[in-house]
Formats: sequence, C-alpha cells, structure tokens
Amino acid sequence: MPRVRLQYFALLREEAGRQSETVDTAAATPADLYAELAARHGFRLPVAQLRVAVNAAFSDWDRPLRDGDEVVFIPPVAGG
Amino acid sequence: MSAFSFSAAPIDTAGLAGPLASPAAGGFAAFEGRVRDQNEGRTVRSLEYEAFEALAVAEGERIVADAVRRHGATLGRCVHRTGRLAVGDVAVWVGVSAPHRAEAFAACREIIDAVKHRLPIWKKEHYADADSGWVNCEHAAHPAVAEFDYSRQSALPEVGTTGQRRLAEAHVVVVGAGGLGCHVLASLAGAGIGRLTIVDHDRVEASNLHRQPLYAIADVGRPKAEAAARRLADYNPGLRYVPVARRFDAELGAALLAGANAVVDCTDNFAAKFLVNDAAQRAGIPAVIASVYQYEGQLQVVRADRGGSCLRCQWPEATRDGLVGNCVEAGVLGPVPAILGQLQALEVLKLLLDLPGQLQDELLLVDLLEHGQRRLAAPRNPACAGRCVRVDAAAAHAPPATDVDLRLPLAAAVAAGYRIVDIREPMECAFEPLPVSGQQSMPLGRLLDGALAVEAGHPYLLVCAHGVRSHAAAEFLRARGHANVWSLAGGLAAQS
Repeated sequence: MPRVRLQYFALLREEAGRQSETVDTAAATPADLYAELAARHGFRLPVAQLRVAVNAAFSDWDRPLRDGDEVVFIPPVAGG
Repeated sequence: MSAFSFSAAPIDTAGLAGPLASPAAGGFAAFEGRVRDQNEGRTVRSLEYEAFEALAVAEGERIVADAVRRHGATLGRCVHRTGRLAVGDVAVWVGVSAPHRAEAFAACREIIDAVKHRLPIWKKEHYADADSGWVNCEHAAHPAVAEFDYSRQSALPEVGTTGQRRLAEAHVVVVGAGGLGCHVLASLAGAGIGRLTIVDHDRVEASNLHRQPLYAIADVGRPKAEAAARRLADYNPGLRYVPVARRFDAELGAALLAGANAVVDCTDNFAAKFLVNDAAQRAGIPAVIASVYQYEGQLQVVRADRGGSCLRCQWPEATRDGLVGNCVEAGVLGPVPAILGQLQALEVLKLLLDLPGQLQDELLLVDLLEHGQRRLAAPRNPACAGRCVRVDAAAAHAPPATDVDLRLPLAAAVAAGYRIVDIREPMECAFEPLPVSGQQSMPLGRLLDGALAVEAGHPYLLVCAHGVRSHAAAEFLRARGHANVWSLAGGLAAQS
C-alpha cells in the first residue's frame, strides 16, 4: 500500500483541519485519493475545481501513485 | 500664457480667472493676498515688492505645474505684483480650476504656500511714521523639492544606469488598485517605471484601508484609480500616472495593453483574472497574476511573449468565483496581499531588467503562516481553452517563422516540464554535452525519418548548437500535427 505525503491549501486546509498529513492509501491515482480523503475530511470542492501536483509538478488526475509521492491538492484562490 | 508671472500694474483678477474656465472643471478656487494696514503693531501706508524675476518665474511655473498635477486640477495661474502698492491692493493672486472643489482648494492652497515660502521676493514696508524697512519674508529662495534618487537601486550591478533607463522607458498596466495593487504600484513607482496605468472601477471603502495604504481616510468614496494616481504623484512626481476608473474588459484591455511592457493582475475574482490573462495573450505581453486567500497566496507569470503556459492552462473554467473565497468573504490580514503584491512587483522588475530566476510555466504557492513556498511546474496544458494553445493549432497549418522559438534557460525548461530532445550528431553531443540531464538524443536525420515518438500532452523542446536545425525540426513536427513542439532559440550557444 503506497504511503504518500499530502499538503493542503486554502479551503482544503480549513476543511481538513491540517496543513499536511501522511497517509497509507489503496488509491491508485490522485483522483481516487481525493475521493478517499473527501469522504474522510468532508471536502466539498469537486475534483473538476481543483488541480493536483505530484512531486512539485502539476499532474493528471489519473497518473499512477507511487510510494513516497508528495501530493498537493490546490484549490483556486481569487482574493486580491 | 505663463502659469506664473509678475505684474508691475494692478492685477486684473477677473481677466485672469476667465481663461482658467474649462468644460471639465466643475470647481474654481482663487486666493487674493492684499496689502494690509498693520504689521507687528505698526501702521503700514504702502509697500514695495522686489523680485529676482528670472529665477522666480521659472520656480513659480514649476510650483503651479506641480500643484496642478499633484491634485488632479485642470489649470492653475499665479500673478505676483512688483513695485509700489497701497493698502488694499492685490499683491498676489492664485486661481485654480479643477473637476471638483476639493482639488481646486488643495492646489490653490499649495501654490500660495509654496510661492510665499520659496520664491525670491522681498517686501519693503513704508510706515505711517515715515520710517520703512525690508521685512523678513519667510522665504530665502529655498531650493526646489529634492529630486527622486534611484542611486541605491542603480548601484546594483544588474541595474546600473542602463537598467534604470529601461525602467524609465517602461509602461506597466496594473489592473486592480486594492490590497495587491497598492503595493505593486508603490513599489513600481519607487523603482521609477516611467508610465503606470492604473485600472480600477471601484471607489475607496473604509474596509479597504487596513490593507491598502495608498489611500487616506479622506479618500473614502473617491475613485480608487484617481486617488492612487494622486497619492503616487505626491510620492514620485517624476513619473506618468494614467488613472482609468473603468471596469477592465476585453476592449479596454486591447486599448491599454497595446505597447505596454507588462500587465499586473491584482483583481479579486476569476472572471477578471481570465480577462487579464486573455488580454495579455492577445497583446503578446507578460502578465503577472496573483491571488490571496487568508494567509496564503498564489503567483503565476504568464509569459505570453514567450509562448508560456497561461492561467487557463491551470484553471480551465471561469465559473469558480462562487466556490472560492475572496477577501470580502474569507477575511485577510494586510501583510498577506502586501507580500504577494511585492512579489508581483519583483517579478515585473525581474523581467524588465532581464534578471535571472524569472517565473515561467510555474505556480508559486506561498503559505505565510508556515512560511512555506513551493514552486510547482505548470507547463502548457494541451487542453487549454485559452489562446496560448490556439496559437499552436493555427501554427500547425501555417507555421509562422518565429512561432516555434523559445528563449529560456535550458534548466528552466527542464523545471517547467519540457521534454528535451538533443537533435545534434553524436560527436557534437560528446564534445559538448547538454548542461542538463534526462534529455533524449535524436540526431536530426533520424528525427526527419519519423523516429521521434511525440507523446501527446507533453511539451517538447528541441535543442541544437545554434537553434537553426532545431527550428526546422520543430516546424517539421508542427506540420505533422504536434502542436506542442518548440525550438530552443539560439541553441546551446545562446545559453552561456
């Protein structure tokens, strides 16, 4: 089961109640991982509204997750 | 008509006021300084004025021009008497016309104060007891206001006089004069950007002040663009400020961005950010875009001038304003937009001065609670709905000569996610290896035979010695439908 390191920003950080966490996941892709975490933390934003970065680069939602990956879910922000 | 003059004859105040009228001026203020019959307990019968006219006229004209510009007035005029005056005669007259009374009063007041304080004019009083004396007239021909001095900045070897001149010749458009914009504007005015266009359709609200220090409490209710321009003209009068108190849209963007060096997006909603992004794409100029949310910020530099990835590459829909917070709903601490605004100003200066480390094809995430910063590679998205990819689609049919060239450091291309293909011959590669690793080697001949498997969804950068072969190879692949293939401009030779 891959162990991944997660970082949250903005709305997701608030909803998760934390800045980062490490999880063991059965999810095969970032999309599956987000669904898993959305159920756990009550994330309201749909995947279509987010971007995901894996290992410091924007990634597709369906790339395979590997052990040790660093995953960042990024909601858009617009304040100015 | 000179804005400042001396008159040996009585001043015709009505004749002076007439020419200051303008259809745009809803306010007119005048000040008359008259000879009075008392001074420090002695009865004055008459007095004489003497002036060092050559110096006083030049300085007087500058005083009037500065006050008119600083306060946003329309026209100003000042006339000072010389020679012998009787009690009740007008000694000095100032008139200012302006859009509203506040500007007219303020400019008029500033002119008379500066004339009294700075001009080399002397007064001799004749008293009832037949005595007379030169009166200490406050002013001792004070030097003009100091010059804005950029020496601490131009001392940087990367700036110098050449860089300072480049900044003086630059035109930057700032969209949004709020929490981000105030700091962008202050820093760019401090740096000496010759022309700053300030676009904001809002008026100053009291709830803006805690994070928008360009505005004073007295500005509440005034158009932000105009209040900001006025404040900046006070701060650094040597620059040109163009306030545009209108909502930014495609038409306005086309008009304002033509010929500008960069646009800075300081708006607070996605609809506006996409408008700025698109306008920059059409104008082919860089856009420096930032957003804040509570204690976090995001910064992206869209290098439309270099075929870089755009805002729509990252955020493909324009409908998320209802879902994400802005400052009104989510709250914000003043230093957060201040820091992000300063980062935007920094990126503008970096690109104008051609400094290293410029952001391109990246998203910078800043977390100011934890002091974390992340630079995420954000290459062009082939599914982008924006013009950055539509340009490629057109190029696939009729590639214009320069559209495939990208001028950027090779390491930056790697960081941005470009797949690097070295199309030189094996001997050349052995003689001068690429300064990066992970590249694919594919000599031009094999590439033209179709040996390069181009994977959709990834940007490719072809590299050769001088950028000539890679240009041809990129055009060859574009013509075969590979829209996201680029040539390293100038080749390896241009990298050192």
